[in-house]
Amino acid sequence: MQRPRIPPQILRLLVLTIVIVTVYSIARYFLTPQSFGMYGWYRAVALDEIAARPTTYAGRKACDECHSEVVQRLAKYEHKSVSCESCHGVGQAHAENPDVAVAKLTYSHCVRCHEADPARPKWLKQVKSKEHYTGQRCTECHIPHQPNEVP
Amino acid sequence: MKTTLTRRRILRALSGAVAGLLSLAASRKAKAAVQKMLVASHTPKGYDPTKHKWLMALDVERCIGCGLCVEACKTENNVPLGPNYFRTWIERYVITKPEPGSGELRGEVVVDSPNGGMHGFPSSLVPKEQILKSFYVPKLCNLCEHSPCSQVCPVGATFDTPDGAVLVDPKYCIGCGFCIQACPYGCRFMNPITKTAEKCSLCYHRITRGLKPACVEVCPTEARVFGDLKNQAPDDPIQRFLGKNKAAQSLKAHLGTGPRVLYADLDKEVR
Repeated sequence: MQRPRIPPQILRLLVLTIVIVTVYSIARYFLTPQSFGMYGWYRAVALDEIAARPTTYAGRKACDECHSEVVQRLAKYEHKSVSCESCHGVGQAHAENPDVAVAKLTYSHCVRCHEADPARPKWLKQVKSKEHYTGQRCTECHIPHQPNEVP
Repeated sequence: MKTTLTRRRILRALSGAVAGLLSLAASRKAKAAVQKMLVASHTPKGYDPTKHKWLMALDVERCIGCGLCVEACKTENNVPLGPNYFRTWIERYVITKPEPGSGELRGEVVVDSPNGGMHGFPSSLVPKEQILKSFYVPKLCNLCEHSPCSQVCPVGATFDTPDGAVLVDPKYCIGCGFCIQACPYGCRFMNPITKTAEKCSLCYHRITRGLKPACVEVCPTEARVFGDLKNQAPDDPIQRFLGKNKAAQSLKAHLGTGPRVLYADLDKEVR
């Protein structure tokens, strides 16, 4: 009985295929990031890396730690939905080191929201700043933390 | 020595190869498990992405177009200040009155967004008498359930996270820009400094620390609502929003991308 022989060209192809597959598997084994495929077709560690970025805005809770009196007073008036950092600017640096001052407020902070504009919803109190007591500063009549009260 | 290729020999060789491959996979799993224990995690302690499902909702009726959110977003996320780079922006829609005798209910729709609304809006180009309706619409990544941007990414640098955000891995992004073209909402841009694609990350570094996204934090009118669908407390802002706005819609839902960001009181002209 004659045993079946593998033709040499097929044998060479087989060996080559095995070598390529082996090299690929080894390379893949070492190059694939460890967290790849944990949640999906991506590196799960990227989530941690993105989460580790520093924050710039501290959030109202951080303000409340030292300025709770102001935060509590504000909560009783119409500006209660306005966050501290909406007007006072970024606060993370100030929260970490109180010597770092927060931004100074100007007139433009008031008209930024309250300038009359047909696109603004009707419930918002709006003024035409060019006709509304020109020459006077907003704070001469209005207290930003207690907007309902006029002194 | 005479070697014969019998069925037994072939089977034995094959089973050997399979066993070898299986043990390789097993060893890799073991390696991954060990690595996971050893690698120090940057994530704030106790944050598990699988236990949250974040959602942003927008109340169009409450947006006053002040642009604080746009500014805060740029500051918080180091977005370049140029007028082409926005993770979030505000559009002003102006619907004019119809021409007399035209029989139409509405005139044309004028949309503008000067510098993304970052410094507020100058008075409208349309005179006040001609305006039928005008309103502001904040825009951001729509957090698609089947995000086209992550489907086209050739290197797996952008992905849907289990907690509902769609993020970009800047280490893997090659800056090909496919995702920027794929996004039907125009929510992505190429960062000119890092040369990688960028988009709203829902302030992932803030929400994992228990803070609100920067735009939600500074919004003075609570037009932006943010919450966790998996931690349903009755006072959760998103639950209150969903209870109040049963008819909240998402943008371009017909595209099948499954946008999750909800808009209340949305006019049909908004695209």
